[in-house]
Amino acid sequence: MSGTVSQGILNDRIWPLILPAAAVFLALGVGPLLWMFVISFWRVDVFRIAPDLTLRNYIDAVSLHGRALASTMALGIAVAAICTVLSIAVATVIRFAKPRTGQILLFLVLVTLFGGYLTKIYAWKTILGNDGVINSGLLTAGIISTPIEQLLYSPAAVIAAMVGFLLPFAVLPVAGALRAVEMIEIEAARDLGTGPAKLFRLVILPRIRRGVIAAFLLCFCLAVGDYITPILVGGGRTALYGQMIAPQFGTLFNWPLGAAMGFTLVVAALFTGAVCAALLDRVLR
Amino acid sequence: MTGWPMRLARILTVASVILLVAPLVLLIVFAFTDRGLANFPFEGPSLRWWRALLEEPGLGRAVRTSLTVSLTASVLAGVVGTLAAIGLARLSARKAGIVIAVLALPIVLPPLLQAVALLAGASASGFGLGLHTVIGAHLLFTVPFVIIVVHGRLSGIDPAIEEAARDLGAGPVRVFRTVTMPLIGPSVVGAMLIAFALSIDDYVLTSFTIGGGNTLTTFVWGMMRTSASPVVNAIGTILIVVTMTAAALGLRMTRYRG
Repeated sequence: MSGTVSQGILNDRIWPLILPAAAVFLALGVGPLLWMFVISFWRVDVFRIAPDLTLRNYIDAVSLHGRALASTMALGIAVAAICTVLSIAVATVIRFAKPRTGQILLFLVLVTLFGGYLTKIYAWKTILGNDGVINSGLLTAGIISTPIEQLLYSPAAVIAAMVGFLLPFAVLPVAGALRAVEMIEIEAARDLGTGPAKLFRLVILPRIRRGVIAAFLLCFCLAVGDYITPILVGGGRTALYGQMIAPQFGTLFNWPLGAAMGFTLVVAALFTGAVCAALLDRVLR
Repeated sequence: MTGWPMRLARILTVASVILLVAPLVLLIVFAFTDRGLANFPFEGPSLRWWRALLEEPGLGRAVRTSLTVSLTASVLAGVVGTLAAIGLARLSARKAGIVIAVLALPIVLPPLLQAVALLAGASASGFGLGLHTVIGAHLLFTVPFVIIVVHGRLSGIDPAIEEAARDLGAGPVRVFRTVTMPLIGPSVVGAMLIAFALSIDDYVLTSFTIGGGNTLTTFVWGMMRTSASPVVNAIGTILIVVTMTAAALGLRMTRYRG
């Protein structure tokens, strides 16, 4: 018995306690996904879906929307890379600044992790739009005479908004990894004459490698799966894959194609994510 | 850490904090502006958008629906997640870690994928769409959070405390009721508050599984799509304040630090 608490009560009954959670996971998570996997091989007959065993949907998912899939992966990498770099900086300050500053910063990150998903994205409209804060500010200051229209409805706006709500997800794993780095390791390296840059590159980065990779992957997964941000701040110019999946279950009514696109997105994300993780693992060693 | 890497880290941190906080602060500020546009120059405070919000048809109903869904989901997630965490605490750390990683998969998968899967599943199984499917969908991603938080607390408890109670003659049920539960109680309540914050803030799963009617988030979405009036800022402010207060309280109670 290697458990730590409440030995005795329901001692041999570990699994019944886990059962309700497992039931939620299986009945609401795994089950529907398996069902959707089945549907992804079906076809649409005039306004209803009919059983079939076709790969047509997967072929369409790649051939019709291949460009969007590729640009979604690229955007995901960009967002994850920016989040990762910023998260290393924030986690470093959390770990090495005065304890009080670190605590406040960590609490800020934790609180902004929750709450206002839609609102956070929408707020970028208020900042970047033609009537937004930046344009109106620059106009009032007389720096520009007409609003810069490219601020909103561009890939940059999508990236900014996504980094805005994904950054807390990146900070937590890096901060966790950095907490495990002991001051004594750093002092030892410094006593041996290692400069701050080398110290960071040769001592700290390799030690927090796993946390950094986790941060990158988490942000990447959440970014490529998001379709709300491009709708709100991407305009028509930034077509992402998720944006094309959602209507298949609404107005376009092509569930089989939507299902196939969903699984295509996951496979593409797993593959891209694995490649990125392997690269990061090499670079950070 | 010293030298230029630390200076660079500080500069990037300031930029990050601005990135995290500025959108929220601006949105809240502009919910109280007197002008029809959310931008500068800021002209005097005003409550006109809040009055307009109160007259918005359907808002009251959306708030009630949101409360029903999120209170139910967070209490259920609290019970289901705590039971699982207690069970997992009796497994080895390695085994528990694996089970938690599997159960936490719904947090990483694209919400869109799960949302459409639930939609397809609900219609195929004959359950139909409604508040029950929304609550179910919310359990999917709130239960893992409760498990992680409560399990984290349980594994930090010194087994000697419970052993001492046992040695003094308390039965297992009494030990649980008088020793374990008071120790994990704040974490359980905190985890439920976090679950509530996550639930009330969810849009993607809700929008696909609700069928008809509105929650606060689907209501906000409708407004965001159709208007750019500062009324959206007012209702957005409500969402931010509610979720962040619940989350901040929950984080304090659980003493969760990542």
